Amino acid sequence: MRNLSAGPEQGAGEPRAKKPAAEERGRIVLSEGAPRPLFFTGKRPKRDRHSRRKVAFFHFRNYEPAFKYFTERVLDADFVPTPAPTRATLKRGEEMSADYVCTPFKHIIGDYAAALDRGADVLVQVTGFCRLNYYGELQEMILRDAGYDNFQMLNFSYVPTGKLRDYVAYCKKVVNPNLSVPRGIGGMLGAYRMVEHIDAFRDQYLANAGFEAEKGSFTRVRRAFLSDMNAASTTAQVDEGYRRAADALAALAVEKPADPVRVGIVGEYYTAQDPVSCLNLEEKLMSMGVELSNAMSISAFNLHYNAAAAQASIAEYSSYDMGPTSTFNIAAAKRYAEAGYDGIIHIKSAGCTPEIDVMPVLQRLSRDYRVPVLFLTFDTQTSDAGLDTRLEAFYDMIAMRKVR
Amino acid sequence: MAKLAMKPAADLAAVRRVGIPRALLYYRYGRLWRSFFEELGREVVVDAPSDRGTLETGDRLSVDETCLASKLFLGHVAALARQGVDAVFVPSLMGYGRFDTFCTKFQALPDLVVNAFAVAGEQVRVIALRVDEPGGQSEEDAFMGLGVRLGASHKETRRAYRAAAAAQRAYDEEMAREQERLVKSLSKLPAADRPLTILVAAHPYVAHDPFVGGVVEDALRAQGACVLFADETDRARVLKRSYDFSRSIPWIVNRELIGSLLMLHEHVDGIVLMSAYPCGPDSMADDAIERCIHGKPILTLTVDAQTGTAGVETRVESFVDILSYQKKGGYLNA
Repeated sequence: MRNLSAGPEQGAGEPRAKKPAAEERGRIVLSEGAPRPLFFTGKRPKRDRHSRRKVAFFHFRNYEPAFKYFTERVLDADFVPTPAPTRATLKRGEEMSADYVCTPFKHIIGDYAAALDRGADVLVQVTGFCRLNYYGELQEMILRDAGYDNFQMLNFSYVPTGKLRDYVAYCKKVVNPNLSVPRGIGGMLGAYRMVEHIDAFRDQYLANAGFEAEKGSFTRVRRAFLSDMNAASTTAQVDEGYRRAADALAALAVEKPADPVRVGIVGEYYTAQDPVSCLNLEEKLMSMGVELSNAMSISAFNLHYNAAAAQASIAEYSSYDMGPTSTFNIAAAKRYAEAGYDGIIHIKSAGCTPEIDVMPVLQRLSRDYRVPVLFLTFDTQTSDAGLDTRLEAFYDMIAMRKVR
Repeated sequence: MAKLAMKPAADLAAVRRVGIPRALLYYRYGRLWRSFFEELGREVVVDAPSDRGTLETGDRLSVDETCLASKLFLGHVAALARQGVDAVFVPSLMGYGRFDTFCTKFQALPDLVVNAFAVAGEQVRVIALRVDEPGGQSEEDAFMGLGVRLGASHKETRRAYRAAAAAQRAYDEEMAREQERLVKSLSKLPAADRPLTILVAAHPYVAHDPFVGGVVEDALRAQGACVLFADETDRARVLKRSYDFSRSIPWIVNRELIGSLLMLHEHVDGIVLMSAYPCGPDSMADDAIERCIHGKPILTLTVDAQTGTAGVETRVESFVDILSYQKKGGYLNA
């Protein structure tokens, strides 16, 4: 607005004298870079969906990167890595559990206690079969009795319908109310892919690591692979990391005999896979120069398992499904026997009812196919030296049979 | 070309004498199984109750780590095989719902028997069926299939199954009613005259097997206690009640025991939790019970294949002693 009272020196009808620009009244500047957003773009800014809950899993083989990926990409919450299990963790778990509950229960509850000490406030427990269905509820009870009360359990046993929609609703309720379903599904696919890669890598590793030309080279590649997986945040990175590791593994020099001693491992879901539970059995065998194959993995049992076909393949040994992993293990053992493996090792935790019932079937299979089967039971007390002796004796026996 | 079969093969038509092992779920479904075969005109042989010999035979046939109850079961099957039955009935039972399942042992039984006997080089013929309601095989369907294999018509089989199921139901209801009457009459007595009431919570094949739980029951009765059984209650009601205790405990038998514990809790002076070593379901359920059900003294007994009965008797006696002293108002007032 013009100030009429200002400028009395200017008469009417005179051309307007230009006033010297005492102060700058405005300026047009061409800004560089992207244009500033308009006010009404029709899009709302993305809200922060991240939840600050600190989620921890139990320790299970080397699946931790997948658990991390699941937490960050699906649940969209903070991930607390469970500390590597030690003697003390296990002792803690043992003290908290009933005497003759199965051993994975003791391992897992020890891990949970360690994770809670590290500041986790959501513990994830899965569901499935047998006693595992009740793990979550009882473990929660025990941990609360032990004085931990600042945590919640994401216990998938509490979703009895098993429908995806109910799982999502449950995760929203416990961990992250703002969880995005489309992003979660994308994340789930990435986690699946990662699990498949971790298992594929393990299979290659077990087959060849016993014959490495340079000591420690396989372990090096494995470490690099797992740290890549740990760092991955997209499916593309997951794939890329695996490709790199698989190439690196294939490029390593091996000194493998034409007909190596081959051993197949079957057994109870947790103990057969988890090196802490089975006292590094795989590494021990590989150090003797054995080509290993482990039938049990999340991909083999949960993602790519055809139960009906497996049952049909063992019709002469079992007419009904005998337990959660029974059919899978019998079928796998039979496959190993037919493929001419030199020995089979059956691993279970102490008191595992379904695997105990599998044992007579494997004894019969062992007789029919003339393949030695070593039955191993792992408890929290199992000694390292005792295992060494048994493995060495088993190796000597199958190696001698091979020469003959 | 193979002939198109219009009817499933009656491959068990020649089986005249059917053996039923007196072990495991015989103590739960015995009436049903027995009368089903009897209705279809078969001779049913149930072998003698367990003893040391049964256990020894079963132990020889089993892997070391199997539970006591399973060893006894194999012992009973062997006894039946010796008695020359045509076949032994060994059903495979999965369960009735997501959280109403049986221990995987019951699911594995037929194959376990066949393989264990094959490994030992002994012969036994097994008649099996599969009950897996969440998987779409109901009990009735399973028995219908079995009836056809036994050479009976659909109509005959259905009639036989219905009669058998009714017999089992009637028996269960009778047991539940009797116990309810007992509880009622106990609660009518004045507190001073009321005998010490002990609730035995154990799987039926542990509680009622004379070789396993019989010792405990005898010891309790010898001490003058009145014994109630957690498995002799109204099943539907206690099953429902158990959901107050736990949402995710998966075993139907443990659920019923827990439901009964909750229901009878105020009527008893003490609880005996008994299990056969090493029982998978009990290893977790007993832990939960001890953590959650407070207010009544609990004695946990684990019966295994090694120990004699002396240890159990002593523990039961001292438990009853402590309870009766407590009832009188403590040791000093006794």
